[in-house]
Amino acid sequence: MAGEYSEYDYVAAGTIDVSELKPLDPETRKIMKGEFSTGLKLTIFYYIFILAIPVLNWFAGDFMFSRMWGGMTYSWFLTSVIAMAMAFIIAFAHTTLYEKRLKNYQKNSGPSEERRII
Amino acid sequence: MAMLLEPKMLLTILLMGTIVYITYLSKRSATASDYFVGGRSFGWFTNGSAIGGDYLSAATFLGIAGLTYQLGYDGAYYAFCFSIGLTLLAIFVAGPLRRFGAYTVADFLAYRFHSKRARLAAVAVVLAISGFYAAPQLLGAAQILSMFFGTSYEFGIIFTCSVMIFYVGIGGMKGTTLNQALELWIRLGAFLLMVGAAIYGGLHYQEILAAINEFKGSITGTSAFTVDGKDIPFDGSVWTGTGNYFPSFWQTISMTIGLSLGTIGLPHILLRFYTNPSAKAARKSALMAIGIASVFFFFAVYLGVVGRSIFLSGNIDSGVMKDLIAGGNNMVVPSTAQALGGEWLLGLVIAGAFAAVFSNLSGLFIASSGALAHDLYATFFRKNITEKERVIAGKVAIVILGVLYGVLGLMVKGASIGHLVALAFTVAASTFTPIFILGIWWRGMTEKGAIAGLVTGLLASMYMIFFKTTLPEFLQFNVPGLITVPIGFLSVYIVSKLDRRVPADVNDFMKKVHSKETEAA
Repeated sequence: MAGEYSEYDYVAAGTIDVSELKPLDPETRKIMKGEFSTGLKLTIFYYIFILAIPVLNWFAGDFMFSRMWGGMTYSWFLTSVIAMAMAFIIAFAHTTLYEKRLKNYQKNSGPSEERRII
Repeated sequence: MAMLLEPKMLLTILLMGTIVYITYLSKRSATASDYFVGGRSFGWFTNGSAIGGDYLSAATFLGIAGLTYQLGYDGAYYAFCFSIGLTLLAIFVAGPLRRFGAYTVADFLAYRFHSKRARLAAVAVVLAISGFYAAPQLLGAAQILSMFFGTSYEFGIIFTCSVMIFYVGIGGMKGTTLNQALELWIRLGAFLLMVGAAIYGGLHYQEILAAINEFKGSITGTSAFTVDGKDIPFDGSVWTGTGNYFPSFWQTISMTIGLSLGTIGLPHILLRFYTNPSAKAARKSALMAIGIASVFFFFAVYLGVVGRSIFLSGNIDSGVMKDLIAGGNNMVVPSTAQALGGEWLLGLVIAGAFAAVFSNLSGLFIASSGALAHDLYATFFRKNITEKERVIAGKVAIVILGVLYGVLGLMVKGASIGHLVALAFTVAASTFTPIFILGIWWRGMTEKGAIAGLVTGLLASMYMIFFKTTLPEFLQFNVPGLITVPIGFLSVYIVSKLDRRVPADVNDFMKKVHSKETEAA
């Protein structure tokens, strides 16, 4: 099991000024950077697709509401067919890239360096 | 006796019996971990199904097809907005949240800042979101009971709350998860059969859309059920276009932002990621839930189109026609099921609708009971609480919530389900979404920043929904996410920048939630 909950100490940690904060250790920084960078790129790509639909609907309505297959318009196809697939494709790409990174981390560091959650 | 033999009654009784059996099998919760997070023992398939069960509520099962039937393209756009959120949750929150590994949503803030005040603020927001979300589910359940079994609204609320108290109180997270997973497949099975029946009946997507688009005039056979005694007019070209629900471009964008980011902040969905054995399983659970939700939304929109096509054809049983006119949007899925597959398919859809209500409500009950028992009682009133007492407190909290939600359900009689669900999503998007995204990825976030974000986001979203008419016209959004989400994010950022006092152990926290895992973890 990856981790288990334990009670918190509300007073021990205290606070410091943000300027006194030490940099994160290189490994955590690398993991965070890798995860955030991948997530952000996928999110930007996803939101460009998401927001393109209403933008095109309102500003290129003639094209978006013209028929492409039977009575299905481009807009209907993008919104109710492609968008559903896109939600899964983005999440699948993220999970695949995460697992690839995980394998790389394991290859590059021995078991003694692996942190376990307490 | 004759009523007992009707398919809708038989299948509903079968569902109830299965729930009772699963709850009985899962009743042993020896530890708080068993009770609140199911012993963190659920693999990605079960948990993915349960997340899907939690997310795809009655409002989704009955509502999306109903909205598509009523609003056409704008109804389909609703489904599109709901389909986005789980993906963002999987990208930014699912893995780190599981690595954190606590019991409740408020635990995250309490641990991140070592703060009871932050925990208290989070509890208030959890209860607000859960209340706003539970009310429309109860309203839907009471309406379904009233429509199909002729019971009163009040009976419907009391019955549903009683089932929930039994189901969640005895089964805890274990029973709830197993029931949610089963209930999801009942709903998906009902949709699959409906889609199969529609295609078998020749109702192909592109062909019926073309027929609807070309329809302009009065719908034959509707005059017998309208108040003015005239056939209902319909213009298919308007229905297949946009502007039926979103009067402006900015209204569309605001709803897209509010609904897509709202999922990240829903407490009952966030809680589900604590029940996986590892962060890897949490990500896979999310992936599975996204796959299920995508298929579900695709089917729901298609069935809304099928419902409209059947209605326009006028070639349906007069009872179905009456239900579609008098019953409103929530009757579209049941009526279409009856038209496509008769009483048995209708019975399965009704059982599916109950499954949707129970599944979603049980998630809300578990999330809120954790907030009351674990976050409030065990933290503020009984510090040295034992495991057994924590479980008992959780069960007592379920009873209290059953009563509170019941009262809330009685108060919202006649309210719009969509309005209340939108409120829950807007509050979640403006409060927990900024807190979780910034809390997981930004070390500079402070306790005061987090509390400011929660309070400002909550107040802004409630004001913009409840007192919409007091605002200038350009700010009167149906879903005010475009305004309230940036308010939430900016409040956290600005107050944190001014405060500058970050927890001394924030680096340890970041290590914990971003640590790599072994494959076995």
